[in-house]
Amino acid sequence: MAHDLIPPGVRSRLKSLRLTSRRAVGAQGIGAHTSRSRGTGLEFAQYRAYEQGDEPRQIDWKLYARSDKFFVREAERESPLALWILIDASASMAQADGARPGWSRLDAAKALAACLAELAIAQGDRFGLIALHADGLRMVAPGSGPRHRDRLLIELHALSASGGFPDPARLAPLWERIGAQDLVVMLGDFFDEAGVALVERLAAARRETLAVQLLTVEERDFPFEGGHRFRDPETDAELLGDGTALRADFIQRFADARAALQARFDAAGIRHATYVLDEEVDAPLRQLFGRRLA
Amino acid sequence: MLALLLPVGLFALAALALPALIHLARRSEDRRTDFAALRWLSEKPKPRQRLRFDEWPLLLLRLLLLALVALWLARPALRDEADARSWIVAVPGVDIAEARDAASDDAEIRWLAPDFPAADRPAPAAPQPVASLLRELDAQLPAGAALTVLLPERLSGLDGERLRLARQVDWQVAPGAMAAPRRGLPPPPVLAVRHAPDQAASLRYLRAAAVAWQSPDQPLGYSAAGLDAPLPDRRSVLVWLAPGRLPAAVTDWIERGGTALVGADTDLEAADGAGGALAEERVLGRGRLLRLTAPLTPAAMPQLLEPDFPRQLQAVLAVPAAPPSSARAVDVAPLAGGASYPRAARELQPWLALLIAALLFVERWVATRRARRVAP
Repeated sequence: MAHDLIPPGVRSRLKSLRLTSRRAVGAQGIGAHTSRSRGTGLEFAQYRAYEQGDEPRQIDWKLYARSDKFFVREAERESPLALWILIDASASMAQADGARPGWSRLDAAKALAACLAELAIAQGDRFGLIALHADGLRMVAPGSGPRHRDRLLIELHALSASGGFPDPARLAPLWERIGAQDLVVMLGDFFDEAGVALVERLAAARRETLAVQLLTVEERDFPFEGGHRFRDPETDAELLGDGTALRADFIQRFADARAALQARFDAAGIRHATYVLDEEVDAPLRQLFGRRLA
Repeated sequence: MLALLLPVGLFALAALALPALIHLARRSEDRRTDFAALRWLSEKPKPRQRLRFDEWPLLLLRLLLLALVALWLARPALRDEADARSWIVAVPGVDIAEARDAASDDAEIRWLAPDFPAADRPAPAAPQPVASLLRELDAQLPAGAALTVLLPERLSGLDGERLRLARQVDWQVAPGAMAAPRRGLPPPPVLAVRHAPDQAASLRYLRAAAVAWQSPDQPLGYSAAGLDAPLPDRRSVLVWLAPGRLPAAVTDWIERGGTALVGADTDLEAADGAGGALAEERVLGRGRLLRLTAPLTPAAMPQLLEPDFPRQLQAVLAVPAAPPSSARAVDVAPLAGGASYPRAARELQPWLALLIAALLFVERWVATRRARRVAP
């Protein structure tokens, strides 16, 4: 895996994206997100000279009385949004394309997570990570700033995919940590019913939930020729078949399954995007955040 | 006709299975593929077990290459087509007009001469080694070919070995006569003496012998000079009377075909022992070197004073006479049952090796060119 998770070309394009949440409310202070509440922050940060356009009521009049100059009080801004990145780390995420063995679904998920962290840093949001591993959840509590991003990257580098999707019992800490109104982005393949059910419950529980389904090129195009022994990495079920003969039927059934999944997401109010491994990493983010939805 | 000298080498053709297997293997094996979306794969179609090969051109190249290597191991050779035409050879000098009329149309008359020229061309003039040529022809002809030989009544050019050929020969005596080899006494030797000053006393005996050989109408075949005089031409006999080793110039003169008689005090390596009482003889290059057994003084060599000394000296110097080589043709009809020789075949291995090398080059080029996919 490359040291830097984000490809250079993608990093430059990230600047035009902004994390948005439909549920963000201004109750917790001034942030980058649309809010009904106005006013300065709670904690004083600095004075700065008045500039044209500043609201007159932000001017510190007592200071003006003392110094005969206009100064504006600035406060530390507290972002109202916490971003949770959920990564499915079951064995199916380790699948990569035969044509590009070094780029698995999990690698793409890590790159996406790094991109999301960059976006969150750029607008001062807090962000955290939860990897859904069969052995248990691996969590980076929400925080902000470059130091926190490094903590997240270390956790991402150490992450590997194995086992199945965790039991619902193991997911209990997730409900304790993810607060209401938080932004949750789930990165996974959503082949497991448990994964789909999790995001549906999150959405139902008033978390702003987004889903990015990661697909390999082989799942989209089914380019296999000749005899193959297909193996499900999670259940170890095997199926012997001829690629050419299976292709049309598989593409039809898989498209149906994806349509059904997207219908469920839409019904649950989950914004969703699909990322195929041969696309640019920022494509799903552009799909989710490229236009302002709120 | 193509023949294989080592047909066992064709077992190497079994190696043809190797490239076929290499190109086939990826097909028959069902590759394990991780595929998480397995539940949307339907169960029904089994992989087709049809034989399929990757990269046909490369496979064909490799098969061809291996087949050629196997052929190379089998040592292919090109045998000339055995034409069973009958041969008629005529000894030069025979009148072939009659035989030409009698010959059937599929036979061709040739002269019994080196390379067996056709009878349309003039007969070779020089006397031919008939026995040797017959043996050569017998060895060259394919086993089934009939051979007719037209000979004059008197046959020369024979040798000491009785003719024994592999085939039954139609031995026909025809009118005509061979060019007879020149016969008669050889001319007496011409002595060219080169002597050291202190040997002058010995010269009189040699001169006396030369005078004795001289025919009345011939000049005297004798001359004498010092050691530093130029060497005579090689028809003369060089008499070298000087102690010590022979100079390199003299040795060289002898080796090119000269005959030399040297004094008894000349240093030589061991002689062959041939010769006689008067001189011992050895062969030096193409020439002969004779050394006197004793100094040319009556005390050491009493024969000098005997009346037949010139005859003895001429006998020593004369070239040994050839054995008789002429006989009546009917008496020397060849015996049958001689060894027959398998005819040498022209091996094709070097050319095949070149072809294999070229093919290997092409194969490597095809197999390593950039546009190729990954695979065998």
